[in-house]
Amino acid sequence: MGLIEFISANYIDIQKSLLRHIELVGISVSIGMVISIPLGIFLSRHKRMAGTVLAVAGTIQTIPGLVMLGFALILFGIGMLPALVVLSLYAILPILSNTYTGITEVEQRYIEAGRGIGMTNMQILYEVELPLALPSIISGIRISTVYIVSWATLAGLIGAGGLGDLIWTGLSNYNSKYILAGAIPSAILAFVLSGLIGFLQRLLTPRGLKGVRV
Amino acid sequence: MSSNLAPLIFEHMLIVIIATFFSVALGVVLGVIAYWVRHVDAIILWTAEAIQTIPSLALLAMLMIFFGLGNTTIIVGLILYALLPIVRNTYTGLTGIPNHLKDAARGMGMSKLQRLIRVELPLSFPLIFSGIKIAVVNSLSIAVMGVLIGAGGLGYPIYRGVQTRNLARILSGAVPVVLMALVFDYFMSKIEQRLIKRAG
Amino acid sequence: MKHNKSMVILLVVMVLALSVTITGCWGGDAITIGSKDFSENITLGEMFAQLVEAHTDLKVNRKLNMGGTFVCFEAIKNGDIDIYPEYTGTGLTAQLKMDVISDPDEAYQVVAAEFDRQFGVKWLEPLGLNNTYTLAVTDAVYQKYQVETYSDLVKVSQNLVFGAEHEFFDRQDGYDGLVKMYGLKFKGEPKKMNASLKYQAIGNGDIDVTDAFATDGPIKQYNLKVLEDDKGFFPPYYAAPIIRKDTLEDHPELEEVLNQLAGLVDDPTMTELNYQVDVEGKDVEVVVREFLQSKGLLD
Repeated sequence: MGLIEFISANYIDIQKSLLRHIELVGISVSIGMVISIPLGIFLSRHKRMAGTVLAVAGTIQTIPGLVMLGFALILFGIGMLPALVVLSLYAILPILSNTYTGITEVEQRYIEAGRGIGMTNMQILYEVELPLALPSIISGIRISTVYIVSWATLAGLIGAGGLGDLIWTGLSNYNSKYILAGAIPSAILAFVLSGLIGFLQRLLTPRGLKGVRV
Repeated sequence: MSSNLAPLIFEHMLIVIIATFFSVALGVVLGVIAYWVRHVDAIILWTAEAIQTIPSLALLAMLMIFFGLGNTTIIVGLILYALLPIVRNTYTGLTGIPNHLKDAARGMGMSKLQRLIRVELPLSFPLIFSGIKIAVVNSLSIAVMGVLIGAGGLGYPIYRGVQTRNLARILSGAVPVVLMALVFDYFMSKIEQRLIKRAG
Repeated sequence: MKHNKSMVILLVVMVLALSVTITGCWGGDAITIGSKDFSENITLGEMFAQLVEAHTDLKVNRKLNMGGTFVCFEAIKNGDIDIYPEYTGTGLTAQLKMDVISDPDEAYQVVAAEFDRQFGVKWLEPLGLNNTYTLAVTDAVYQKYQVETYSDLVKVSQNLVFGAEHEFFDRQDGYDGLVKMYGLKFKGEPKKMNASLKYQAIGNGDIDVTDAFATDGPIKQYNLKVLEDDKGFFPPYYAAPIIRKDTLEDHPELEEVLNQLAGLVDDPTMTELNYQVDVEGKDVEVVVREFLQSKGLLD
């Protein structure tokens, strides 16, 4: 049967895999944000530690996905949990790096202006630095999301579900329809999420910074 | 087990080197085209970026449908993923050349092609090299997935280790990969710095 | 100009890489032996490889752990591999897409004839084992529901989670057919994972039921209960080396070498070998070498 018929015949499976995939991406990027943004703020106040922390996070990034899944499998078994652990770890670097860079690159004159009108450090953080760093942070979230959509396809190997399941079944059985039924939606998902977050980024860029490329 | 590692390391490196060769050839050409033909620069850059967005397992699986199992598929995949850093850096390097240098070359009677080969590419070389460095380091990691579509390399002990939940096996493949990535990154960065210094 | 030396070096490296690519095929008399991606098949593939290396002048390229049935099948059809271990039941229902034949010998005859005719692939002598698909449940499930047959399972299936390797879900003799014939309805979505991970999953209680192979080591290890296929859904699965006919023409000695294994690897033997690899975690190469030495097939 052709690809279209295949998709309509297996529509429910594909939909379930897609939803599970979105779930995996959503949870792990959220965890990544919860860890990275405060950590990035912290590092901007303690710049000497930044080099080391970023290097560690960067090294995690170079470890191949299959390897990290293997580690998580040994520690946590199969299912969503090990997958989420790995994906959350991978989500950290882009967001952390961009949060740190975004805050540290806020021009001194803005901070001084804030101090000049009597803002406390907390106020400067929330009302000057974070808003100005926001485009950079969101860019990091976008990069992170695209990576995670990609890595989440490997998660099917350890029983976490997601669009990877379709690809794995296709690979096992040399069945191109299964492969495409998993590959195409995952690519579309990556593009859509990247576009949405990119749109959000442009929306939230303060007018004064609109010309700056992040 | 470790006696089998050397040929795998060699195969892994070979796959990455072959892929890098082709991606440099293709990437630099595309970068030059984007530079010369202003209408298509956005399309070329956008395409390279779009390829990066496609999930790697998805891309490799789709390539497998066309190229079959084996090293060819992973090499094609690596070439595609290496395009963005190389194309973008070539383009950025070429467009960043100050106009007075281009005018000087034109003044010396050089044709467009001569100007490219004798002035513009050499000046862009540090940036292009930086793109190659990024491509190589990424490829070393992505090449691990080759085992899933029938290619060789260090993915084999890693995958076997995952299947048998054997940490030692996973590490026997993972450690060389990460070490190679760190070593290449270190040395190529050093070369990059020297290239930049000489240009400055 | 400034960067000429660096560019020349890069160019030289690239030319070297290109020349290596071109001379890629390191000829010599070699054959390629592949296998599917689970321990038993990897073990059998390794067994063929070591035998061929010991008894012929041929060099063996191993492509073990390639992937599922169809990956190996495509590879042997287009010559990427020359030999791999296959099962008659699989050949019958998955590749030939025919109905189940319950008589094992008849199944073997039919499959051998059809593979020869349709694909140019020859089945060598059966190894002795009959590794049928079975369903296995945890001891806890067995104690609770007292299930003995697949039909018994139907009544309680909605309380149980089913898990299997990805391949099982796209085969004629797989999930869809099984569920349809018996009217099984498992709890939630079936969990799909890499073939080797099924047993950890059932051991952890992440799944309650799995498709098992009768000779799998972990059945004993996890104290699983194997159920009876009372309606005869799964065909018999004799294992044998299958080989491309052209490879056999080029190297006829392979037939005799590999047929030394005929009948030698029966169910208990295979289960024992699987146990050593899967449960004791020994290296496949070592397990195979020791086995072949014990049978006098290797020095």
